[in-house]
Amino acid sequence: MRKLIRPVRAKLLAAKKNTGGASEASAEKTKDNTDRDKTSSFLSEDLSSNLARIKEIFQNCSDIIYRQFLFAQREDIRLVLIYADGLADKLQVSEQIMRALSLEVPMAAPEADITKAGAYHLIKERGLCVHQIKETDRLEDVIEAVLSGDTVLLVEGHPFAFINGMRGWEARPVSESENEMVVRGPRESFVETLRTNTALLRRKTRSSDLKLEMMQLGRITKTDVAVVYLKGIANDKLVEEVKSRLQGIELDSVLESGYVEEMIQDNTWSPFPQMNHTEKPDRLAARLLEGRVGIMVDGTPIVLTVPTVFIEFMHSAEDYYERFQIGTVVRIIRFLSMFLSLVMPSFYIAIITFHQEMLPTALLLSLAAQREAVPFPAFVETLLMELTFEILREAGIRLPRQVGQAVSIVGALIVGEAAVRAGLVAPATVIVVAFTGISSFVYFYSASFAIRLLRFPMIVLSATLGLYGLISVLIIIVVHLCALRSFGTPYLSPVAPVSLGDMKDLVVRAPWWAMFTRPRLIGWKNLKRQEPDQKPVPPETRTGEKGGGGDTGKQ
Amino acid sequence: MGEILENSKISSRQAVFLMVTMIFATVILSVPAITVKHARQDAWISVGLATVAGLLIARLVTTLGLRFPERTLFEYPAEILGRWPGKLVGFFYIIWFLHINAGVIREYGEFLVTAFRPAPPLIVFNLMAVAIAAYTVRNGLEVFTRANEIFFPLTMGLIVITSIFASGETDIQRLLPVADVDAVSIFKGAMVPLAWFGEIVTIALVIPYLNRPRESHRAAVTSVLISGVVFMLVVANAIGIFGPDLIEAMVFPGLNKYRIVNLANFLGRFEALAMTAWVTAGFVKISIFYWATLLGVSQVLELKDYRSLVLPVGGVLMAMSMLDHPSALHLQHFEAQVFPFFALTFEAAIPLLLLITALVRGKGERLG
Repeated sequence: MRKLIRPVRAKLLAAKKNTGGASEASAEKTKDNTDRDKTSSFLSEDLSSNLARIKEIFQNCSDIIYRQFLFAQREDIRLVLIYADGLADKLQVSEQIMRALSLEVPMAAPEADITKAGAYHLIKERGLCVHQIKETDRLEDVIEAVLSGDTVLLVEGHPFAFINGMRGWEARPVSESENEMVVRGPRESFVETLRTNTALLRRKTRSSDLKLEMMQLGRITKTDVAVVYLKGIANDKLVEEVKSRLQGIELDSVLESGYVEEMIQDNTWSPFPQMNHTEKPDRLAARLLEGRVGIMVDGTPIVLTVPTVFIEFMHSAEDYYERFQIGTVVRIIRFLSMFLSLVMPSFYIAIITFHQEMLPTALLLSLAAQREAVPFPAFVETLLMELTFEILREAGIRLPRQVGQAVSIVGALIVGEAAVRAGLVAPATVIVVAFTGISSFVYFYSASFAIRLLRFPMIVLSATLGLYGLISVLIIIVVHLCALRSFGTPYLSPVAPVSLGDMKDLVVRAPWWAMFTRPRLIGWKNLKRQEPDQKPVPPETRTGEKGGGGDTGKQ
Repeated sequence: MGEILENSKISSRQAVFLMVTMIFATVILSVPAITVKHARQDAWISVGLATVAGLLIARLVTTLGLRFPERTLFEYPAEILGRWPGKLVGFFYIIWFLHINAGVIREYGEFLVTAFRPAPPLIVFNLMAVAIAAYTVRNGLEVFTRANEIFFPLTMGLIVITSIFASGETDIQRLLPVADVDAVSIFKGAMVPLAWFGEIVTIALVIPYLNRPRESHRAAVTSVLISGVVFMLVVANAIGIFGPDLIEAMVFPGLNKYRIVNLANFLGRFEALAMTAWVTAGFVKISIFYWATLLGVSQVLELKDYRSLVLPVGGVLMAMSMLDHPSALHLQHFEAQVFPFFALTFEAAIPLLLLITALVRGKGERLG
């Protein structure tokens, strides 16, 4: 649907711009409207009327604080501080604005300098002890600043306001990442405050090429969104595409990056996530360095990255920090468990129902003996168990932590043990389902949703058509994945289309000195990551190298 | 016009993978039995001969195609012969693609019915095959080419690995004496595999969508060579295991071979695995011919988009796959007796005539 809507919207915009006649009139009308808004929303010189207007806007907003005080103890120069309680740093507001303006200015400045006309200049240049101020003459800016947590200062007799950046609200401190666990590697994870997140990222990449472009999304929530990328590494077209897709969003609220994801992804109907996300600054930095673009949304620790390829979900941050052999072996295990978590129950059903001849006789007999007392066909049995497992899993996530233990006991004892004893399910089925469940925890969480979902049609088709049904679903999945694109990048690259150079970061994780190029389809703009030929050479070969040539750099 | 219909671009390697899968998907099923019937234990020589002839066809088709590197086999007959005769040729090709695809789908279904106990009715398999292929071709050439890039190593790997496992049972004596039958029988045996290798004519539809059309010569020749050599090994392997008498009696010797595999007394009866390999390959083949038909219809009728044709053509394919042949035996008879001539007319004769006409009339560029 989006594909359809977007061109239409673009056309409308183009029509507004280009055509004369009828539509021009309406365009002019809207222009007039905004102009009138503008004139009415300028601040006036009269402090009390300004205050009244602001108070009217903030009617019934009990968290807005208006503090009136005098500049340098002068009755004729009144000041008003406006801020949202809890968003601004109260201590700083009282110390660096109120104390400075009312008490310290008269001490520093001669009495003669303090006039009503010169007050504004004096406050700006000598009075305010604030690290970041902004001036405005617009009422909207004042409102927005207060809502964003800034402190606004209005001065009697001047149609301008100071916006003091003294935000300081209660926020969760930077803590250990809970969703992306690593044994070796940085622990810190993003928090709910965008500024803290950008700082965490900046600490990882100290480069002026790291750009953070801000925009606001959400008509009511006015959520800050930052598009982050490394200039010169990220493809400019990609950055433009991300920005234009973001600008096309017209939601009333953006409370989590998931809102953004659903509005800008390529294929809505696919169960596969076409945007990766992370809550770890090191992961984000690594992806930016590969030429990807990040989308940070205020209010959530989850940062989106595009473009995404499917194999990313099989990778973990630790692959790159641990020894490369370990990284490779672990990745093989992840690919295997991804495959198993998709096909295992279907394979079991297909074998039990249609292809018993594939099993060795001993195993077949033992399976048959187990299943003798079970009243259901393998299909019903497996489906029941899968359903039970999904329920247990959901319960495990939603329940308070203290109750979680109870759920796992109930799950393990009742479902596992008792169901087998009661002869409701065969032990083999329990093993298959449990193993499938465990396998689906191995790789990245958001991809496991798709796999979980696709398991069920696969089970149904395997129960009706055996291995053929299983293969059919696999074929459809592969074709679907081949058709998917994430911001122009084929979802299955570098497997299909094959890109041999990128194979060193697919299943195998090559040592860092060998990964001297970025992924070709994403980082082609600036392909060279580092100099090749950096394989470490122990000292003894280093000396021998001069004469004999050594084997450095050849691999 | 090509750009409007299909804006895919594929690489030469992808094209080779596609062509090999296309040829290999069905040649491995019933062709060994037919060839062995004629050439006995010398069937592998027949396959070798067919490969050489197939190379000639590949060369012929690409030479013709490269005279019109922007156009497909459905478009350039109109340029060579004039608008209406050209469209007629295009129309014949559409019918041909429909027919061979219906045959492939039927064989696909019959094979699965044979491989399955208890088996659902034939129409279930045919319907599944057409439905999956419909979904695939809707996404365009590039997508199923990419999907094939994943399937290709798996299917070829499975075929090769299972052949290696089965080779423990081979007896080289069964291949002797070499060249015992007369030359005519060997040639007769070569006709059927040649009809399959001749399917390389499909590359004439792919040339406009290649990254580098000039490489199509090499791509076509490589495809035929790979399929020919591997098929020769598969046939020799099958003869070595069963001997010509048994193979002649089998419907799907390629499948029976895997029944005898036994690995470490644990993994046995590989036919289910062989079946999975074959299912993916067969699906790719059906998709290619399906796509060829869609492309043909839309190019001959000068339509802008073939997506709307997917369902109607799928329905026609379904009907034809069920009605073309009353039984599996009829299908086999058709493949052995009729198909080579039916196929080679379109694979070699018409392209040859087109090329000669183009040369005489001086149409097209001289690229290749």
